[in-house]
Amino acid sequence: MSSVRTGLPVPLRPTAKRWTRHPALARALGWGVFVVVAITILFPTFDVSLQDCLIRATPFVFCGLAVAVPARAGLVNIGGEGQFAFAMVVVTAAVLLVGDTLGAAVLIPLLVVAGLFGGMLWSGIAALLRVTVKLNEALCTLLLNFVAPLVLAYFVFGPWRDRSSFNLPVSKVFPDAARLPTYGVTQLHLGIVFAIAAAIAVWVVLDLTRWGFRARVVGGNPEAARRAGLPVNRIAFAALVAGGALAGLGGMVEVTGVEGVLRPNIGVGFGYIGFLASWLVGHRPLDLLGSSFLLGSISVAGDSLQINAGLPSTSVYVLMAVVLLLVLSIRGVATRGTS
Amino acid sequence: MLVEDVLAGTVRSGTSVLFAAEGELISERAGVINLGTEGCMLTGALAAFAVTNATHSALLGVVAAVGAGALLASVHAFVVITCRANQLASGLAVSFLGLGLTSWLGAHYVSRSIHPLNRADIPALSDIPFVGPVLFQHDVLTYVGLALGPLIWLFLYRTRTGLILRATGENGAVAFAYGHSPTLVRYLAVMVGGALAAVGGAQLVLAYTLNWVENVTVGRGFVAVALVIFAGWEPLKATLGAFVFGGALALQLQLQARGVSISPFLLNMAPYVLTLAILVVASRGRAQRPPEEIRAVFGTTGA
Amino acid sequence: MGATSMSASLGKSSRWLLALACMTACAVAAGCGGSSNSATSSKAKGHETIGFLYVGPHNDYGYNQAAYQGSLAVKKAFPAAKVLEAENVPETAEAERVMEKMIRDGATILFPTSFGHLGPAMNVARRHPNVTFLHMGGLKNGPNLGTYFGTIYDTQYAVGQAAGMATKSDKLGYVVAFPIAQTLLNINAFERGAQSVNPKAKTSVVFTGSWCDPGKQAEATNSLIDQRVDVLEQHQDCTKTVVQTAERRGVLSTGYHADASGLAPKGWLTGSEWNWGPLMVRMVRTVEDGKFKASPYAGLYRVGVPSGVIKLAPYGAAATPAIRKQVTATYDRLKTGWVPFEGPIRDQSGKLRVRAGVTPNRHQLESTDYLVQGVVGKIPGGA
Repeated sequence: MSSVRTGLPVPLRPTAKRWTRHPALARALGWGVFVVVAITILFPTFDVSLQDCLIRATPFVFCGLAVAVPARAGLVNIGGEGQFAFAMVVVTAAVLLVGDTLGAAVLIPLLVVAGLFGGMLWSGIAALLRVTVKLNEALCTLLLNFVAPLVLAYFVFGPWRDRSSFNLPVSKVFPDAARLPTYGVTQLHLGIVFAIAAAIAVWVVLDLTRWGFRARVVGGNPEAARRAGLPVNRIAFAALVAGGALAGLGGMVEVTGVEGVLRPNIGVGFGYIGFLASWLVGHRPLDLLGSSFLLGSISVAGDSLQINAGLPSTSVYVLMAVVLLLVLSIRGVATRGTS
Repeated sequence: MLVEDVLAGTVRSGTSVLFAAEGELISERAGVINLGTEGCMLTGALAAFAVTNATHSALLGVVAAVGAGALLASVHAFVVITCRANQLASGLAVSFLGLGLTSWLGAHYVSRSIHPLNRADIPALSDIPFVGPVLFQHDVLTYVGLALGPLIWLFLYRTRTGLILRATGENGAVAFAYGHSPTLVRYLAVMVGGALAAVGGAQLVLAYTLNWVENVTVGRGFVAVALVIFAGWEPLKATLGAFVFGGALALQLQLQARGVSISPFLLNMAPYVLTLAILVVASRGRAQRPPEEIRAVFGTTGA
Repeated sequence: MGATSMSASLGKSSRWLLALACMTACAVAAGCGGSSNSATSSKAKGHETIGFLYVGPHNDYGYNQAAYQGSLAVKKAFPAAKVLEAENVPETAEAERVMEKMIRDGATILFPTSFGHLGPAMNVARRHPNVTFLHMGGLKNGPNLGTYFGTIYDTQYAVGQAAGMATKSDKLGYVVAFPIAQTLLNINAFERGAQSVNPKAKTSVVFTGSWCDPGKQAEATNSLIDQRVDVLEQHQDCTKTVVQTAERRGVLSTGYHADASGLAPKGWLTGSEWNWGPLMVRMVRTVEDGKFKASPYAGLYRVGVPSGVIKLAPYGAAATPAIRKQVTATYDRLKTGWVPFEGPIRDQSGKLRVRAGVTPNRHQLESTDYLVQGVVGKIPGGA
């Protein structure tokens, strides 16, 4: 802890050679064991389908990355929820505008850009207020979470409601060209690959590049970073906006990969669960894949809890919260012991 | 008429947020930010509703809320004070815990009814034109809420305990040097904060919605946390902030009831956008400074 | 904070994490131990597995409770059948997942009961041609998916008459969640009923923007009462707050979805009520007999007062003998299949929407996108 606090360079890669001394490998192994145990023992026992878990975990990865990137620069982004929702609005606008005229090869990349842009725009508000009037980004993003779903509702109940379906509050069904391809007869969509690729990309940027290193210095001690001549504001702004873009990509993936139509209530709670997922693993992008899978499994197991055991579906929140509180406590105690 | 109705509506819909904001203020003044306020409100709401339903006594309901809110807040206190975990992450997790627990335990209470906390007009004062309907035709908890800001101001600035609380929030080491345990002070402050938020939840269900449903607070607790910053950690301004939020809520519904044609979605944004706008204005003025220990949590360094 | 800089304790925390992950899994295991499914579904008559999905809590004194009571009737009529239930199922792909899970648990008949469950149900229905879907409130169907709903706006006309006769200020209030065809139609029927007995009656509408937000409902009710509204009606999923707030402020209330007379011992007039049980039992029997595809349930099935699915709730203390006489007369007329939407009908702007002497058919009514003259308050976002 002290090395970052003082802003002194930290080694980018641990020097130990044996894999048991290599924390990243140890963690990867740990997650691997969990996934194997989950798939071979837990899923069959509770009738949880692997496909459902993967689909459910995907938005958690994006929303988790939206927390992890700003966290590296010392910022707290609680706004994944709003960024996710607003991006879906932008993506749907793009689909309604040009969805019928373009082929998938052009349209899908365009929608990816729309999703990234939507998320950036929504987190950009908080980022701008952060660097100009020093408004705390945690509260700003939190408040904006209550606004974005209303923007979505405004369009879905208003201008975009489906006139071909008796004015139901859903958008027009997306054309096939605007849907992410799925694998064979399954519902596994390309967005799952996006999520894994995004996690790897974020890991590369944060842990292996100069920018990632600078962000870590800013996050560790902004004052020292400033004195060292780093553009603190620019890095903070970029980190928060990049986080929003990742949540936005998650929104794009959910609305084009899973739903195929914009409805109210898509993705409610995903931003918060992503937040938990990222904190669970100390904002490490690759581990986030594991924690998202864990939380995705818990979410899906919630169906079984309700249908077979009669527990309300929201009781899975209790489980998630307890796990995170325990991890935070234990990690807090452990960190205190070493610093 | 419109002004009077809107102001009366402001007090009605702002009171629950007011309790939560004042509670959060006490907690933050001791150096602990508690995003779990939302969870504490929900816990208080369910505890109050369930106990009032069982005992037919709103007073016992409020007492139960105080206990339940303090209990949930103590979870947050343990995680952040004893274990030194991040306050924002722990707070959000505690809110989730509150949401999950109350949905689970409260499922059976959705169909139950209570004898609500009824209006208790204050004799003479309630007959004053304009002022009467706005301020003096409410339930008992609302009157407590109206007095809460000034009371907490007195507590913070005119009592020794208040001084110790503020000192702890500025610098735990200083308080320790004067012979007070910052840990104890913070634990108490967080629990009192949670208890007040729970009373806010209790007021919401006992006097306002008269019913329990899952997630009945819909984010009021989070708004309360934001309002504390807007208020610059000053109890009187926190009261004002809560009523600005309540006013925005009441205004949009009063306008609709008068046939004004505005999208309810745009109107529903108003309370949040307004809170945000005021935060921006407030932070430009630099009139207030957060307690030092809160600064550390926020990392409010910026430019 | 500390999270970015914990290199010292990484190994330790990862082991803890793993342990916790397993603990969580075990907690899940303990929570539903022994309840694991046997996916082999018995197709013997009366032994089906039937799944019900609700969008809200099953005991909300509203729409979901009405649907839940339908499921109770099904349980009673088919004691050997296994009934699976899931509440608070959102109207998104989540619903697809819940339906898939129920099908894996052996369900052959599914009742997605929220109108927003239609899209997800259509998707699942395509993947499972052998499962029958009976969707409530929809406007589309498929080979193995039928949709049914009740013309509850018919009784809303009678309820409007009760309100129109009871009001002293000639101001009625309507607290509504969202502006969609179903809600607009109910408001129109209510106002037309009120006008039929009291030409001066006006209905003020407030949209809360949520199917269940008691805080907003309370303030909306208070706002309307501040405007001298003295009879409250509503359309949302959880209905108790509006009725109780009205009762507390000494004004009258009418109801929608379920009988709420117990909540307003003084101010309750009457209301519209669902009675899904008999219809649901009939539909399950038809599917069992293999006659679904040839039955009307495979299409867009609509039932009204004559079938008994739509009922008038019991009269409350506020319903005077004159009101009871008038409303009962209208109710009797509705039982004969009368549709209370004869032209001319003008919208708020005065535009003629239904010509004199014409009665729109059910599908025209269900795409209503306007409010009739006499309603105060606009549809947001324009029609």
